[in-house]
Amino acid sequence: MEKTSFEPKIIGFLCNWCSYGGADLAGVSRLQYPPNVRIVRVMCSGRVDPTFVFKALSDGADGVLVAG
Amino acid sequence: MSKLKLASYWGAACGGCDVAILDIHEKIVDLSNAADIVFWPIAVDFKYSDLEAYEDGYIDVCLFHGAVRNSENEHIAKLLRQKSKVMVAFGSCAISGGIPGLANFKKKDDIFARAYFDSPSTQNKEKVLPVPVLQMPEGEIDIPEFYKDVKCLADVVDVEYYMPGCPPTSEQIWNVVLAIVTGQLPPAGSFVGCEDRALCNTCKRTKTDKKIKKFVRPHEIIVDPDLCLLEQGLVCMGPVTRAGCGNQCTGANTPCSGCYGPLSGVVDMGAKYISALASVVDADSPEEADKIISEVLDPAGTFYRYGLPGSLLRRAK
Repeated sequence: MEKTSFEPKIIGFLCNWCSYGGADLAGVSRLQYPPNVRIVRVMCSGRVDPTFVFKALSDGADGVLVAG
Repeated sequence: MSKLKLASYWGAACGGCDVAILDIHEKIVDLSNAADIVFWPIAVDFKYSDLEAYEDGYIDVCLFHGAVRNSENEHIAKLLRQKSKVMVAFGSCAISGGIPGLANFKKKDDIFARAYFDSPSTQNKEKVLPVPVLQMPEGEIDIPEFYKDVKCLADVVDVEYYMPGCPPTSEQIWNVVLAIVTGQLPPAGSFVGCEDRALCNTCKRTKTDKKIKKFVRPHEIIVDPDLCLLEQGLVCMGPVTRAGCGNQCTGANTPCSGCYGPLSGVVDMGAKYISALASVVDADSPEEADKIISEVLDPAGTFYRYGLPGSLLRRAK
């Protein structure tokens, strides 16, 4: 039987001015990273309401990353 | 024109909503002039069989209070829905689960273990648990089935109006009764007997910059009667709670516990309050922030006191 490995789905709320810029730069620099993080760009990490985190987790995300 | 037909019922409730209705005092006579009460277990002697005998849509307005905890609550909710033209989720329990909804922090097995085995006043050597259906020599007997979680009224039937409060104040009840009798109810789906703004808007206390260094419980301080309770370090739910209660608690130096529920468009009241608290904590370091926040006693039970089943958390899994 094939071994199944756990692939978490992580929702990342990234600040437009820093961490999203970093993620964008990673793309431009052709750096590879796993696709487990699904990025939502926000204009400031201060915009992230706790409701977003709750909603992400209750809708099936395995983790939430807030970066900024 | 025939008189209006009103019904009221309690699901999983404490009876406080019924008392709040009776607290309209002598106006209950005016109410009985305008409307016939055709079902109200706590005050009027009608049986379930009477309710079953009514034609569909016989009742004009049904005020349903209490959450849906067991199969009897759900059965009567569905029966009343069938017999009523307008269904009102009356009080916090019917809208969002209320105090009984806090049971969703535990699983059904935990609740039964506590209630039937572990509580100090319980003697149950045979470890007897309630079962919905039991065969006896005389025949089958049944009791309502205890659900694994508490539900809101709108989880089991369609609801036209929501009237918040634990309980709704008698003034607001009378306003809504007048609206019903004069046919001036707002569009279906509305919240009635309340305002669509936060409690802080109707609070007369002086509000300045909120910078909280320490959270306290009401018995730990002498409360300043004129200053914002949150600024004094009390966990007041005013910023995220719907107004309309007449500020009874904050007017009596007691922090708002959030019984009127969240404002329109808010998915999760507790999350909004976490957001509100985070913005007023005055910490110079992450450690200090942790320390200040850790002083909030029972955050889940406080932020979701009246609305766990209606929130994103819903229940323990």
